[in-house]
Amino acid sequence: MPTLGLACAALALFLFSCSSIPPARRASPPGDEGWAPPRYSIVCIIHGDSGYLYHDTRGNVHSADEEALARVKTVAERNTQAEVFIFHERHRRHRLLFFPLRDGTFYYYLHGRLLTEESYWRDQGQLRFDPEMELYDRFRAEGSPEPVRFFLYFGHEIPEFDGAGYDASYKNRTFTVDDLADGLKRITSDSTKIDLVVLSTCFSGTPRTIAALAPCARYVVASPDNLHLSYFDLRPFERLDIGLREVDVSGFANTFAHHAFDRLTEDVQTAVTVVVYDEHRVQGFLRSIDSTYDHALTEVRGKAPASVERCDCAEDSAYAKPGMNEGMTVLYRPPNFGRLQYKESHSGWECWRLLK
Amino acid sequence: MFKRNAFRVIVMMCVLVYAGIAMGQGNVQKCFNDAACKVKATTDPSQKREILNNKLQDMSKALDIVRSSRLVSKADRAGIDRVKVAIQEKQDELAGANGYARVPDEQLNAFSDYVVQDMEQADRTIVISGVTALLIVIIIILIVR
Repeated sequence: MPTLGLACAALALFLFSCSSIPPARRASPPGDEGWAPPRYSIVCIIHGDSGYLYHDTRGNVHSADEEALARVKTVAERNTQAEVFIFHERHRRHRLLFFPLRDGTFYYYLHGRLLTEESYWRDQGQLRFDPEMELYDRFRAEGSPEPVRFFLYFGHEIPEFDGAGYDASYKNRTFTVDDLADGLKRITSDSTKIDLVVLSTCFSGTPRTIAALAPCARYVVASPDNLHLSYFDLRPFERLDIGLREVDVSGFANTFAHHAFDRLTEDVQTAVTVVVYDEHRVQGFLRSIDSTYDHALTEVRGKAPASVERCDCAEDSAYAKPGMNEGMTVLYRPPNFGRLQYKESHSGWECWRLLK
Repeated sequence: MFKRNAFRVIVMMCVLVYAGIAMGQGNVQKCFNDAACKVKATTDPSQKREILNNKLQDMSKALDIVRSSRLVSKADRAGIDRVKVAIQEKQDELAGANGYARVPDEQLNAFSDYVVQDMEQADRTIVISGVTALLIVIIIILIVR
Protein backbone atom coordinates (compact mmCIF):
# COMPACT_ATOMS: atom_id res chain seq x y z
CA MET A 1 0.00 0.00 0.00
CA PRO A 2 2.77 2.55 0.84
CA THR A 3 4.34 1.68 -2.53
CA LEU A 4 1.05 2.39 -4.32
CA GLY A 5 0.78 5.70 -2.47
CA LEU A 6 4.28 6.69 -3.53
CA ALA A 7 3.57 5.75 -7.12
CA CYS A 8 0.41 7.91 -7.13
CA ALA A 9 2.30 10.82 -5.65
CA ALA A 10 5.04 10.47 -8.26
CA LEU A 11 2.49 10.32 -11.06
CA ALA A 12 0.74 13.41 -9.71
CA LEU A 13 4.04 15.31 -9.57
CA PHE A 14 4.90 14.22 -13.10
CA LEU A 15 1.55 15.39 -14.46
CA PHE A 16 1.84 18.67 -12.55
CA SER A 17 5.28 19.48 -13.96
CA CYS A 18 4.34 18.59 -17.53
CA SER A 19 0.83 19.95 -17.63
CA SER A 20 0.08 22.38 -20.40
CA ILE A 21 -1.28 25.44 -18.71
CA PRO A 22 -3.59 27.35 -21.04
CA PRO A 23 -1.48 30.06 -22.65
CA ALA A 24 -1.89 33.45 -21.04
CA ARG A 25 -2.95 36.34 -23.17
CA ARG A 26 -2.17 40.00 -22.78
CA ALA A 27 -4.85 41.65 -20.70
CA SER A 28 -5.54 45.35 -20.93
CA PRO A 29 -4.64 47.00 -17.65
CA PRO A 30 -7.82 46.82 -15.54
CA GLY A 31 -10.03 49.87 -15.83
CA ASP A 32 -7.85 51.22 -18.60
CA GLU A 33 -9.68 50.36 -21.81
CA GLY A 34 -8.53 53.55 -23.51
CA TRP A 35 -4.80 52.88 -23.03
CA ALA A 36 -2.45 54.47 -25.56
CA PRO A 37 -0.18 52.28 -27.69
CA PRO A 38 3.35 52.22 -26.24
CA ARG A 39 5.90 54.63 -27.68
CA TYR A 40 8.77 52.23 -27.00
CA SER A 41 9.07 48.47 -27.35
CA ILE A 42 11.92 46.59 -25.66
CA VAL A 43 12.61 42.91 -26.19
CA CYS A 44 15.21 41.45 -23.88
CA ILE A 45 16.70 37.95 -23.87
CA ILE A 46 18.83 36.97 -20.89
CA HIS A 47 20.76 33.74 -21.29
CA GLY A 48 21.36 31.95 -18.02
CA ASP A 49 21.95 28.36 -19.12
CA SER A 50 25.72 28.30 -18.65
CA GLY A 51 28.38 29.45 -16.20
CA TYR A 52 27.56 33.03 -15.31
CA LEU A 53 29.12 33.44 -11.88
CA TYR A 54 31.57 36.27 -11.33
CA HIS A 55 33.07 38.12 -8.39
CA ASP A 56 32.95 41.84 -7.82
CA THR A 57 35.83 43.86 -6.37
CA ARG A 58 34.49 43.33 -2.84
CA GLY A 59 34.75 39.57 -3.33
CA ASN A 60 30.99 38.98 -3.54
CA VAL A 61 29.80 36.37 -6.00
CA HIS A 62 27.10 37.31 -8.47
CA SER A 63 25.05 35.51 -11.06
CA ALA A 64 25.23 37.67 -14.18
CA ASP A 65 21.86 36.61 -15.55
CA GLU A 66 20.03 37.29 -12.28
CA GLU A 67 21.68 40.70 -12.02
CA ALA A 68 20.69 41.52 -15.60
CA LEU A 69 17.12 40.36 -14.93
CA ALA A 70 16.82 42.69 -11.92
CA ARG A 71 18.09 45.64 -13.96
CA VAL A 72 15.83 44.98 -16.91
CA LYS A 73 12.84 44.73 -14.58
CA THR A 74 13.76 48.17 -13.25
CA VAL A 75 13.83 49.49 -16.83
CA ALA A 76 10.42 47.94 -17.43
CA GLU A 77 8.93 49.42 -14.25
CA ARG A 78 10.25 52.93 -14.87
CA ASN A 79 9.18 53.26 -18.48
CA THR A 80 5.48 54.10 -18.36
CA GLN A 81 5.27 54.56 -22.11
CA ALA A 82 6.83 51.23 -23.07
CA GLU A 83 6.01 47.59 -23.50
CA VAL A 84 8.82 45.31 -22.34
CA PHE A 85 9.27 41.62 -23.09
CA ILE A 86 11.78 39.80 -20.91
CA PHE A 87 12.83 36.23 -21.63
CA HIS A 88 15.05 34.59 -19.03
CA GLU A 89 16.55 31.38 -20.40
CA ARG A 90 17.41 29.25 -17.39
CA HIS A 91 19.28 26.05 -16.76
CA ARG A 92 16.96 23.07 -16.94
CA ARG A 93 16.13 21.66 -13.53
CA HIS A 94 14.25 18.57 -12.49
CA ARG A 95 11.85 17.85 -9.71
CA LEU A 96 12.92 14.73 -7.80
CA LEU A 97 15.73 14.22 -10.35
CA PHE A 98 13.42 12.92 -13.07
CA PHE A 99 10.60 15.36 -13.79
CA PRO A 100 11.72 18.32 -15.92
CA LEU A 101 10.60 21.82 -15.00
CA ARG A 102 9.91 24.62 -17.46
CA ASP A 103 13.22 26.34 -18.09
CA GLY A 104 12.26 29.73 -19.44
CA THR A 105 10.50 32.59 -17.68
CA PHE A 106 8.67 35.29 -19.58
CA TYR A 107 7.70 38.69 -18.18
CA TYR A 108 5.51 41.16 -20.01
CA TYR A 109 5.32 44.76 -18.84
CA LEU A 110 3.07 47.43 -20.28
CA HIS A 111 3.18 51.07 -19.18
CA GLY A 112 5.38 50.13 -16.26
CA ARG A 113 3.17 47.36 -14.89
CA LEU A 114 3.83 43.63 -14.89
CA LEU A 115 0.86 42.08 -16.68
CA THR A 116 2.15 38.55 -17.18
CA GLU A 117 4.75 36.25 -15.70
CA GLU A 118 4.75 32.85 -17.35
CA SER A 119 7.06 29.83 -17.48
CA TYR A 120 7.67 28.16 -20.82
CA TRP A 121 9.62 25.34 -22.40
CA ARG A 122 12.70 26.50 -24.27
CA ASP A 123 13.07 23.48 -26.50
CA GLN A 124 9.81 23.76 -28.43
CA GLY A 125 9.82 24.54 -32.14
CA GLN A 126 12.39 24.10 -34.87
CA LEU A 127 14.15 27.45 -34.60
CA ARG A 128 16.10 28.70 -31.61
CA PHE A 129 13.75 31.50 -30.65
CA ASP A 130 10.44 29.91 -31.64
CA PRO A 131 9.13 29.78 -28.05
CA GLU A 132 10.12 33.40 -27.37
CA MET A 133 8.72 34.71 -30.64
CA GLU A 134 5.47 32.86 -30.12
CA LEU A 135 5.04 34.67 -26.79
CA TYR A 136 6.09 37.96 -28.39
CA ASP A 137 3.47 37.61 -31.14
CA ARG A 138 0.78 36.80 -28.59
CA PHE A 139 1.45 39.79 -26.38
CA ARG A 140 2.74 42.62 -28.49
CA ALA A 141 0.63 45.73 -28.64
CA GLU A 142 -0.79 46.66 -31.99
CA GLY A 143 -1.56 50.13 -33.10
CA SER A 144 0.04 53.11 -34.69
CA PRO A 145 2.38 54.83 -34.60
CA GLU A 146 5.17 52.25 -34.70
CA PRO A 147 7.07 52.29 -31.43
CA VAL A 148 10.80 52.89 -31.20
CA ARG A 149 12.20 49.34 -30.98
CA PHE A 150 15.04 48.04 -28.88
CA PHE A 151 16.52 44.57 -28.52
CA LEU A 152 18.86 43.66 -25.67
CA TYR A 153 20.77 40.40 -25.38
CA PHE A 154 22.78 39.32 -22.34
CA GLY A 155 24.93 36.22 -22.41
CA HIS A 156 28.18 34.63 -23.45
CA GLU A 157 29.81 35.22 -26.82
CA ILE A 158 27.42 34.23 -29.61
CA PRO A 159 29.34 31.87 -31.88
CA GLU A 160 29.87 32.72 -35.53
CA PHE A 161 29.91 29.04 -36.47
CA ASP A 162 29.19 25.60 -35.00
CA GLY A 163 27.50 26.87 -31.82
CA ALA A 164 27.04 23.49 -30.14
CA GLY A 165 27.05 23.51 -26.35
CA TYR A 166 25.98 27.14 -25.92
CA ASP A 167 23.23 25.85 -23.65
CA ALA A 168 24.45 23.66 -20.79
CA SER A 169 21.05 21.93 -20.70
CA TYR A 170 20.92 21.18 -24.40
CA LYS A 171 24.31 19.93 -25.53
CA ASN A 172 23.13 19.07 -29.02
CA ARG A 173 21.42 22.36 -29.74
CA THR A 174 23.34 25.03 -31.60
CA PHE A 175 23.20 28.79 -31.40
CA THR A 176 24.98 31.16 -33.76
CA VAL A 177 24.69 34.76 -34.90
CA ASP A 178 22.50 33.53 -37.78
CA ASP A 179 19.97 32.22 -35.26
CA LEU A 180 20.04 35.57 -33.52
CA ALA A 181 19.45 37.41 -36.79
CA ASP A 182 16.57 35.07 -37.65
CA GLY A 183 14.96 35.83 -34.31
CA LEU A 184 15.34 39.57 -34.78
CA LYS A 185 13.72 39.41 -38.21
CA ARG A 186 10.59 38.06 -36.57
CA ILE A 187 10.38 41.11 -34.33
CA THR A 188 10.43 43.52 -37.24
CA SER A 189 8.08 43.72 -40.16
CA ASP A 190 9.36 43.80 -43.74
CA SER A 191 9.67 47.55 -43.80
CA THR A 192 11.04 48.35 -40.38
CA LYS A 193 14.20 47.65 -38.47
CA ILE A 194 15.00 47.46 -34.79
CA ASP A 195 16.22 50.92 -33.94
CA LEU A 196 18.90 49.80 -31.49
CA VAL A 197 20.33 46.36 -30.74
CA VAL A 198 22.51 46.03 -27.65
CA LEU A 199 24.66 42.89 -27.43
CA SER A 200 26.01 42.50 -23.89
CA THR A 201 28.34 39.64 -24.80
CA CYS A 202 32.03 39.15 -25.42
CA PHE A 203 33.36 39.42 -28.95
CA SER A 204 30.12 40.69 -30.49
CA GLY A 205 31.81 43.38 -32.57
CA THR A 206 32.98 41.14 -35.37
CA PRO A 207 32.48 41.70 -39.11
CA ARG A 208 30.33 38.58 -39.30
CA THR A 209 28.03 39.53 -36.42
CA ILE A 210 27.52 43.13 -37.45
CA ALA A 211 26.88 42.08 -41.06
CA ALA A 212 24.35 39.44 -39.95
CA LEU A 213 22.33 42.07 -38.08
CA ALA A 214 22.35 44.64 -40.88
CA PRO A 215 19.00 43.58 -42.42
CA CYS A 216 17.17 44.06 -39.12
CA ALA A 217 19.00 46.72 -37.09
CA ARG A 218 19.78 50.39 -37.54
CA TYR A 219 22.33 50.73 -34.75
CA VAL A 220 24.21 48.15 -32.72
CA VAL A 221 26.12 48.60 -29.46
CA ALA A 222 28.55 45.77 -28.88
CA SER A 223 31.89 44.84 -27.36
CA PRO A 224 34.45 43.58 -29.88
CA ASP A 225 36.72 42.36 -27.08
CA ASN A 226 36.02 40.56 -23.80
CA LEU A 227 33.17 42.02 -21.76
CA HIS A 228 33.06 41.68 -18.00
CA LEU A 229 30.03 39.74 -16.76
CA SER A 230 28.67 42.85 -15.06
CA TYR A 231 27.58 43.68 -18.64
CA PHE A 232 26.55 47.12 -19.93
CA ASP A 233 24.85 49.31 -17.36
CA LEU A 234 21.23 49.98 -18.31
CA ARG A 235 20.59 53.23 -16.48
CA PRO A 236 20.08 55.32 -19.67
CA PHE A 237 17.21 52.97 -20.55
CA GLU A 238 15.33 53.71 -17.33
CA ARG A 239 13.54 56.80 -18.61
CA LEU A 240 13.37 56.67 -22.39
CA ASP A 241 10.87 59.54 -22.46
CA ILE A 242 13.67 61.72 -21.05
CA GLY A 243 16.78 60.09 -22.53
CA LEU A 244 15.46 59.58 -26.06
CA ARG A 245 14.38 63.03 -27.05
CA GLU A 246 13.24 63.78 -30.59
CA VAL A 247 13.69 60.04 -31.31
CA ASP A 248 17.41 60.59 -31.86
CA VAL A 249 18.40 56.94 -31.64
CA SER A 250 21.97 57.62 -32.75
CA GLY A 251 22.42 60.16 -29.97
CA PHE A 252 20.87 57.81 -27.44
CA ALA A 253 23.08 54.92 -28.57
CA ASN A 254 26.17 57.06 -28.05
CA THR A 255 24.98 58.26 -24.65
CA PHE A 256 24.31 54.66 -23.61
CA ALA A 257 27.71 53.49 -24.88
CA HIS A 258 29.57 56.26 -23.04
CA HIS A 259 27.69 55.54 -19.83
CA ALA A 260 28.36 51.79 -20.10
CA PHE A 261 32.04 52.46 -20.81
CA ASP A 262 32.41 54.84 -17.85
CA ARG A 263 30.79 52.35 -15.45
CA LEU A 264 32.89 49.42 -16.65
CA THR A 265 36.18 51.32 -16.41
CA GLU A 266 35.49 52.17 -12.77
CA ASP A 267 36.05 48.61 -11.52
CA VAL A 268 37.20 46.45 -14.41
CA GLN A 269 40.97 46.04 -14.74
CA THR A 270 40.87 44.05 -17.98
CA ALA A 271 40.31 45.72 -21.36
CA VAL A 272 37.07 47.61 -21.92
CA THR A 273 35.78 48.20 -25.44
CA VAL A 274 32.33 49.53 -26.30
CA VAL A 275 31.41 50.38 -29.89
CA VAL A 276 28.38 51.93 -31.57
CA TYR A 277 27.91 50.70 -35.13
CA ASP A 278 25.77 52.61 -37.63
CA GLU A 279 24.75 49.63 -39.75
CA HIS A 280 24.16 51.70 -42.87
CA ARG A 281 27.53 53.45 -42.75
CA VAL A 282 29.66 50.38 -41.96
CA GLN A 283 28.37 48.36 -44.91
CA GLY A 284 30.96 49.69 -47.32
CA PHE A 285 33.85 48.44 -45.17
CA LEU A 286 32.09 45.14 -44.43
CA ARG A 287 31.60 44.44 -48.13
CA SER A 288 35.27 45.20 -48.83
CA ILE A 289 36.54 42.63 -46.28
CA ASP A 290 33.74 40.08 -46.64
CA SER A 291 35.75 37.45 -48.51
CA THR A 292 38.85 37.98 -46.33
CA TYR A 293 36.88 37.40 -43.14
CA ASP A 294 34.99 34.43 -44.63
CA HIS A 295 38.32 32.84 -45.49
CA ALA A 296 39.55 33.41 -41.93
CA LEU A 297 36.41 31.77 -40.52
CA THR A 298 36.88 28.78 -42.80
CA GLU A 299 40.46 28.40 -41.57
CA VAL A 300 39.48 28.69 -37.93
CA ARG A 301 36.48 26.40 -38.17
CA GLY A 302 38.45 23.18 -38.35
CA LYS A 303 40.95 24.06 -35.65
CA ALA A 304 40.97 23.14 -31.97
CA PRO A 305 39.86 26.04 -29.73
CA ALA A 306 43.26 26.15 -28.05
CA SER A 307 45.02 26.87 -31.35
CA VAL A 308 43.11 30.04 -32.27
CA GLU A 309 42.55 33.35 -30.58
CA ARG A 310 40.80 36.64 -31.05
CA CYS A 311 42.58 39.82 -32.03
CA ASP A 312 41.97 43.38 -33.13
CA CYS A 313 41.41 43.35 -36.93
CA ALA A 314 43.78 46.31 -37.15
CA GLU A 315 46.63 43.92 -36.32
CA ASP A 316 46.08 42.17 -39.66
CA SER A 317 46.97 44.28 -42.70
CA ALA A 318 44.38 42.40 -44.79
CA TYR A 319 41.69 44.42 -43.04
CA ALA A 320 43.36 47.81 -43.43
CA LYS A 321 40.86 49.04 -45.99
CA PRO A 322 39.46 52.54 -46.46
CA GLY A 323 36.53 53.27 -44.25
CA MET A 324 37.58 50.86 -41.49
CA ASN A 325 36.58 53.38 -38.83
CA GLU A 326 33.64 54.93 -40.67
CA GLY A 327 30.22 54.85 -39.08
CA MET A 328 31.46 53.86 -35.62
CA THR A 329 32.10 55.33 -32.22
CA VAL A 330 34.87 53.33 -30.53
CA LEU A 331 35.43 53.65 -26.80
CA TYR A 332 38.54 51.75 -25.70
CA ARG A 333 40.64 51.46 -22.59
CA PRO A 334 43.43 48.86 -22.58
CA PRO A 335 43.86 46.48 -19.65
CA ASN A 336 45.62 48.08 -16.68
CA PHE A 337 48.07 45.16 -16.54
CA GLY A 338 49.43 42.53 -18.89
CA ARG A 339 51.15 42.74 -22.25
CA LEU A 340 48.35 44.75 -23.85
CA GLN A 341 48.41 47.58 -21.30
CA TYR A 342 50.29 49.74 -23.78
CA LYS A 343 47.85 49.19 -26.66
CA GLU A 344 46.66 52.68 -27.47
CA SER A 345 43.56 52.06 -29.53
CA HIS A 346 41.19 49.49 -30.96
CA SER A 347 39.78 49.45 -34.48
CA GLY A 348 36.32 48.43 -33.24
CA TRP A 349 36.48 45.19 -35.20
CA GLU A 350 37.48 41.82 -33.76
CA CYS A 351 39.05 39.12 -35.90
CA TRP A 352 40.61 35.68 -35.54
CA ARG A 353 44.17 34.48 -35.79
CA LEU A 354 45.92 31.14 -35.53
CA LEU A 355 48.31 30.69 -32.62
CA LYS A 356 51.82 29.75 -33.60
CA MET B 1 17.42 -5.25 -1.13
CA PHE B 2 20.88 -5.39 -2.70
CA LYS B 3 19.55 -4.13 -6.04
CA ARG B 4 17.72 -1.27 -4.34
CA ASN B 5 20.85 -0.19 -2.47
CA ALA B 6 23.00 -0.47 -5.59
CA PHE B 7 20.50 1.71 -7.47
CA ARG B 8 20.59 4.31 -4.71
CA VAL B 9 24.42 4.35 -4.76
CA ILE B 10 24.47 4.83 -8.53
CA VAL B 11 21.96 7.67 -8.35
CA MET B 12 23.95 9.39 -5.59
CA MET B 13 27.19 9.03 -7.54
CA CYS B 14 25.59 10.60 -10.64
CA VAL B 15 24.31 13.49 -8.56
CA LEU B 16 27.70 13.99 -6.90
CA VAL B 17 29.61 13.89 -10.19
CA TYR B 18 27.17 16.34 -11.79
CA ALA B 19 27.34 18.68 -8.79
CA GLY B 20 31.07 18.23 -8.60
CA ILE B 21 31.59 19.24 -12.19
CA ALA B 22 29.54 22.39 -11.71
CA MET B 23 31.36 23.07 -8.47
CA GLY B 24 34.73 22.56 -10.14
CA GLN B 25 34.18 25.32 -12.64
CA GLY B 26 33.01 27.83 -10.04
CA ASN B 27 35.69 26.94 -7.50
CA VAL B 28 38.64 27.65 -9.79
CA GLN B 29 37.41 31.24 -9.85
CA LYS B 30 36.78 31.19 -6.11
CA CYS B 31 40.43 30.33 -5.45
CA PHE B 32 41.62 33.54 -7.06
CA ASN B 33 38.84 35.56 -5.51
CA ASP B 34 39.78 34.36 -2.03
CA ALA B 35 43.37 35.40 -2.68
CA ALA B 36 42.24 38.86 -3.84
CA CYS B 37 40.22 39.28 -0.64
CA LYS B 38 43.25 38.35 1.48
CA VAL B 39 45.44 40.78 -0.48
CA LYS B 40 43.04 43.64 0.22
CA ALA B 41 42.76 42.65 3.89
CA THR B 42 46.46 43.30 4.54
CA THR B 43 48.31 46.60 4.28
CA ASP B 44 51.81 45.09 3.96
CA PRO B 45 52.89 45.09 0.28
CA SER B 46 55.28 42.17 0.77
CA GLN B 47 52.47 40.09 2.25
CA LYS B 48 50.22 41.06 -0.65
CA ARG B 49 52.84 39.86 -3.12
CA GLU B 50 53.39 36.65 -1.22
CA ILE B 51 49.67 35.86 -1.15
CA LEU B 52 49.32 36.45 -4.87
CA ASN B 53 52.50 34.63 -5.83
CA ASN B 54 51.63 31.62 -3.66
CA LYS B 55 48.16 31.34 -5.19
CA LEU B 56 49.53 31.58 -8.71
CA GLN B 57 52.17 28.96 -7.92
CA ASP B 58 49.59 26.63 -6.37
CA MET B 59 47.43 26.89 -9.45
CA SER B 60 50.40 26.29 -11.73
CA LYS B 61 51.40 23.19 -9.74
CA ALA B 62 47.85 21.87 -9.82
CA LEU B 63 47.76 22.33 -13.57
CA ASP B 64 51.02 20.42 -13.99
CA ILE B 65 49.67 17.51 -11.94
CA VAL B 66 46.35 17.40 -13.77
CA ARG B 67 48.02 17.76 -17.15
CA SER B 68 50.02 14.61 -16.56
CA SER B 69 46.91 12.59 -15.76
CA ARG B 70 45.68 10.03 -18.31
CA LEU B 71 42.12 11.20 -17.68
CA VAL B 72 42.83 14.50 -19.41
CA SER B 73 42.19 14.73 -23.15
CA LYS B 74 44.56 16.24 -25.70
CA ALA B 75 42.22 19.20 -26.15
CA ASP B 76 42.15 19.83 -22.40
CA ARG B 77 45.95 19.64 -22.23
CA ALA B 78 46.13 22.42 -24.81
CA GLY B 79 43.66 24.45 -22.77
CA ILE B 80 45.69 23.85 -19.61
CA ASP B 81 48.84 25.01 -21.41
CA ARG B 82 47.18 28.30 -22.30
CA VAL B 83 46.04 28.84 -18.72
CA LYS B 84 49.59 28.11 -17.53
CA VAL B 85 50.94 30.75 -19.90
CA ALA B 86 48.44 33.26 -18.51
CA ILE B 87 49.45 32.41 -14.94
CA GLN B 88 53.17 32.64 -15.72
CA GLU B 89 52.69 36.08 -17.24
CA LYS B 90 51.02 37.26 -14.04
CA GLN B 91 53.84 35.86 -11.92
CA ASP B 92 56.32 37.62 -14.18
CA GLU B 93 54.50 40.91 -13.91
CA LEU B 94 54.26 40.60 -10.12
CA ALA B 95 58.01 40.06 -9.87
CA GLY B 96 59.06 42.35 -12.70
CA ALA B 97 60.57 39.56 -14.79
CA ASN B 98 60.64 38.72 -18.52
CA GLY B 99 60.30 42.27 -19.76
CA TYR B 100 57.55 43.28 -17.35
CA ALA B 101 57.74 46.32 -15.11
CA ARG B 102 57.20 45.17 -11.52
CA VAL B 103 53.69 45.90 -10.24
CA PRO B 104 54.08 48.90 -7.89
CA ASP B 105 53.09 48.39 -4.28
CA GLU B 106 50.19 50.81 -4.53
CA GLN B 107 48.69 48.84 -7.42
CA LEU B 108 48.73 45.39 -5.84
CA ASN B 109 45.04 45.54 -4.88
CA ALA B 110 44.10 46.49 -8.43
CA PHE B 111 46.40 43.77 -9.74
CA SER B 112 44.62 41.19 -7.57
CA ASP B 113 41.32 42.30 -9.18
CA TYR B 114 42.97 41.96 -12.57
CA VAL B 115 44.00 38.38 -11.79
CA VAL B 116 40.42 37.49 -10.78
CA GLN B 117 38.85 39.15 -13.79
CA ASP B 118 41.36 37.86 -16.30
CA MET B 119 41.07 34.29 -15.03
CA GLU B 120 37.27 34.56 -15.10
CA GLN B 121 37.51 35.62 -18.72
CA ALA B 122 39.96 32.83 -19.48
CA ASP B 123 37.45 30.44 -17.96
CA ARG B 124 35.08 31.45 -20.75
CA THR B 125 37.48 31.61 -23.67
CA ILE B 126 39.72 28.64 -22.91
CA VAL B 127 37.73 25.45 -23.15
CA ILE B 128 38.43 22.88 -20.45
CA SER B 129 35.98 20.09 -19.73
CA GLY B 130 34.12 19.98 -16.44
CA VAL B 131 35.90 16.80 -15.36
CA THR B 132 39.32 18.41 -15.83
CA ALA B 133 38.20 21.55 -13.98
CA LEU B 134 37.06 19.34 -11.10
CA LEU B 135 40.42 17.55 -11.05
CA ILE B 136 42.18 20.94 -10.86
CA VAL B 137 40.07 21.95 -7.87
CA ILE B 138 40.71 18.66 -6.09
CA ILE B 139 44.47 19.00 -6.57
CA ILE B 140 44.40 22.62 -5.37
CA ILE B 141 42.56 21.57 -2.22
CA LEU B 142 45.16 18.86 -1.62
CA ILE B 143 48.25 21.04 -2.11
CA VAL B 144 47.06 24.46 -0.86
CA ARG B 145 49.32 25.97 1.74
